[in-house]
Amino acid sequence: MIFAVISDIHANLEALEAVLEDLRSQHIDTVYCLGDVVGYGCDPTRCLELVVEHCDIRLMGNHEYYALGLISNDYLSPVARQSAAWTQEHLTEEDIETISNFEMEAHLADIHLVHASPFEPESWRYILATQEAQRAFDCMQGTICFYGHSHLPMIFSCSTEGEIRHQVGHDFQPSDDKRYLVNVGSVGQPRDNDPKACYALFDADARTVTYRRVAYDIEKTQQKMKAAGVPELLVERLTVGQ
Amino acid sequence: MPEIIVKYEDKVIERIVTEKKRISIGRTNDNDIVLENRGVSRKHAMIEFNDNAAVIMDNESLNGTFVNNRKVGEDVLRDQDVVTIGKYSLVYNCNASGPADDGSDMDGTMVLNTKKQKKMLEADKAERELVAKYGGSVLLGEENSEFAEYALEREVTTIGKAKFVHVKARGFMLSGIQAKITREPEGYALVNLGRKGKTRVNGEPIERSWLKNGDLVTVGKSTFKFVEGEAQ
Repeated sequence: MIFAVISDIHANLEALEAVLEDLRSQHIDTVYCLGDVVGYGCDPTRCLELVVEHCDIRLMGNHEYYALGLISNDYLSPVARQSAAWTQEHLTEEDIETISNFEMEAHLADIHLVHASPFEPESWRYILATQEAQRAFDCMQGTICFYGHSHLPMIFSCSTEGEIRHQVGHDFQPSDDKRYLVNVGSVGQPRDNDPKACYALFDADARTVTYRRVAYDIEKTQQKMKAAGVPELLVERLTVGQ
Repeated sequence: MPEIIVKYEDKVIERIVTEKKRISIGRTNDNDIVLENRGVSRKHAMIEFNDNAAVIMDNESLNGTFVNNRKVGEDVLRDQDVVTIGKYSLVYNCNASGPADDGSDMDGTMVLNTKKQKKMLEADKAERELVAKYGGSVLLGEENSEFAEYALEREVTTIGKAKFVHVKARGFMLSGIQAKITREPEGYALVNLGRKGKTRVNGEPIERSWLKNGDLVTVGKSTFKFVEGEAQ
């Protein structure tokens, strides 16, 4: 079985469509979405529709929580707050109902899926360094946890002795004696200096993790964002992938 | 026949349909309508019924008798007038269609069921204690509820069938997060997020509704009573 894991689409329809097109050539069995389908971008409704159509598992991200009004926007940067308000205004009642059915975590055999971290998933913590990874390893179930949230493709490994190491996201074959936290990167707003949409494939039989980078029509997305009044910073960062 | 609807803080305690010419109201058990409250005098007031007219007479009570918020000594009651005595209000209905409840005694007067009233007051007291315990508003599980009490201590409390919500609800076709209760400066608001028609207040489907003390919140098959605490 081969499944794709996509995350952090952020209402970027062109990026999502490009990823779905790329998936058609990958002979995958299913797609799982780790959340943040909405927020930042200007096509939340269509992105939600595509995610519902194509993804067998749909998880909550913090931007879904903003959309449902479950967490305060107060701590967001002014740009992010403006964007969250834009999203709330533009979501339909059907969109809200769709989001209200997203799950917080999912478990498949020895695979754990979550948006931010298995440690307090609703706190939306960032796993960027060893200390936070340790907390995540302490709470994760199974041997591989796929997550998103930071938009940075990264891999943390934890040996049987408890030694934690991390690397930039790359294709690899998980070792039987280690556990892994695999950040699948972002479809709609990559931040690792590569503007191409990012997602990951897992081949459960061959035990391989493969990252895919997919070019999409960034300019088209940016024009739509500008026309919709999305803050300039969010538009410009797509060009450079930051 | 005239009817008196007795309410305690807006909750209907009893409906009394009477053929008597005169009924007494007061704190002690020898009254026709017993109102157990410190603000009610032992022999607080009387109502006399004469040929389609009703007259209320205050019996020099300590805290007074009010008709439609106006203090009265003696006053003619008109249909739907509200008499306030202590924390109770008595609504005068000049022509009830008939006995509204069981419990009529031989002369046709509905005797106020003090046991029932006491039970209600005890429940009320218990709710107040709960509110004091949690320092704020509370949801009480009434039907199909996982727990008996949920403190509404967060700014947002989620209700639904997902594992990660604060208040679990049961029911067919219910959303993971079916509804939320938000704590706002004006009070608590219940907002439907999931499938339409699955979130109700006192039986009525809502999209958004302010909650009042005693409201019954139903999400799917689960019902909770909202008990309002002090504003935080």
